[in-house]
Amino acid sequence: MKRILAITLGILTAIGGFVDIGDLVANAETGARFRMSLAWVVVVGIIGIIVYAEMSGRVAAVSGRPVFDLVRERLGARVGLTNLIASLFINFLTLTAEIAGVALALELASSVNYLLWIPVVAFLVWIVIWRVKFETMERIFGLMGLMLIVFGVVVWRAHPDWGSLIHGATHPSLPRGEGLPTYCYFAIALFGAAMTPYEVFFFSSGAVEERWSPKDLNVNRANVFIGFPLGGAISLMLMAGASIVLAPRGISVGTLSQVALPTTVVLGKIGLAVLLVGVFAATFGAALETGLSAGYIVSQYFGWQWGKFVPPKKAPRFHLVVMVSIALGALLGLTTLDPIKVTEYSIVLSAAALPLTYFPILVVANDPDYMGDKVNSKVMNFIGSVYFVILVVISVATIPLMIFTKAGA
Amino acid sequence: MEYAGRMIDAGLQLLDRQIIDVNGEMAGNVDDLELTFPGEGTGPPIVTAILAGPGALSRRIGGRLGSWLESVHERLHPHPDPGPARIPFGVVKKFNAAVELTLPRAELEVDRLEKWVRDTIISKIPGAENEAATEEGG
Repeated sequence: MKRILAITLGILTAIGGFVDIGDLVANAETGARFRMSLAWVVVVGIIGIIVYAEMSGRVAAVSGRPVFDLVRERLGARVGLTNLIASLFINFLTLTAEIAGVALALELASSVNYLLWIPVVAFLVWIVIWRVKFETMERIFGLMGLMLIVFGVVVWRAHPDWGSLIHGATHPSLPRGEGLPTYCYFAIALFGAAMTPYEVFFFSSGAVEERWSPKDLNVNRANVFIGFPLGGAISLMLMAGASIVLAPRGISVGTLSQVALPTTVVLGKIGLAVLLVGVFAATFGAALETGLSAGYIVSQYFGWQWGKFVPPKKAPRFHLVVMVSIALGALLGLTTLDPIKVTEYSIVLSAAALPLTYFPILVVANDPDYMGDKVNSKVMNFIGSVYFVILVVISVATIPLMIFTKAGA
Repeated sequence: MEYAGRMIDAGLQLLDRQIIDVNGEMAGNVDDLELTFPGEGTGPPIVTAILAGPGALSRRIGGRLGSWLESVHERLHPHPDPGPARIPFGVVKKFNAAVELTLPRAELEVDRLEKWVRDTIISKIPGAENEAATEEGG
């Protein structure tokens, strides 16, 4: 049991990254429209986040410095500030969507309009950050989020034609009626969702919160190599379920209740209940992740005291940033802005900013001043560099593609 | 100069690093450095102080945003012409991934805004001193 609890940081980070409100819809939508022909992108994304999260966790364990410290140190005051403003904006959009996402899950369970839930959810997110111990928080929401494994049960109980499912995933082809630009746009959205920067902000700061030292490098590896593939597997199962149940019936996905449809069809009400608990935990976890990340990155850029490992009184500006972000997110959510559209845009926009965050990690993971003999191995540097090239290509292509395809419409 | 003796690439090894006080608390960032040139242009410059906080950062950022930040810093400061907060290099214990000081951060000028936010906002919310939610409190 203790071993499982030691990897809840990785599980929560990955669930918040892979199956937050925007990804839940994006994955089901991709499954319904493209069946399994985009599954390979999720796999590519899982490997990418594993490589960079491992580096960021290792740097945090060895030197005690989280990701935005590295961004500031390697990019300097000006470019670092540009990254801070961009990351904070994207993070804020995601936080807004997650608060609304928790509210939508509560609406599905209670039939009370989600707008009434938003202020309640925002308050709960803040109170958890204000009062609950970091490790308790990650255990509750990480483990509860694992309820989403129900998506796997759905696939199994639907008795799919496994051969054609696997063939569809390994031999990707364009479904009729979809264009190549749209296919590329969804590929970027899935890749961007796998590698959202707030995952490494949260993961590396969490490593400092848990006071990892060079002795904890095994814990880091276990978190990364179990947590992220688990998050990715859940998103793949969701995609498979949608491709089995929704695609043949020509149902497209745009709301959370449509995401739940395959589960309801295959497993009935009990399945739906489990799903709602999982969705609540995953979106609430993602709200905690992005709410804390806002405080982490601003404090780390300016050098302020941050973290839940000290009482709030000792990190006043950190808590002020978190509080203001949650309050503003709730206000933006109350404007009835479609939270699902918001995350879809924020994922794609974040794809454009990815290199600014991942470049400093790659550089510092090779710096013996920080790392001593724990610098990157040659294999790690090779994979890291290949991914860095992919990140740069994507960051250039993403915005033109978004405009050209009218955001995948 | 009593600090002399170690050659560093100050831009790479000092600038933009985290400052940590004697209690292990975070006390700002190395936003700029004060350099003193010894004698008649002989030898490399010597780092005599760390400059931190908005007064120093605004000059690094530059442009309209930088001058706006500087004017806010000057207005909020009790002195008419404050300049950046200064940490003499003599109180630096050591530096590698972070710069460690021999003083608590409460004694640094750069801590003023942190104190203000703590005293006027955060301390007034119930639970601000809550040790139970932290690692030490277990």
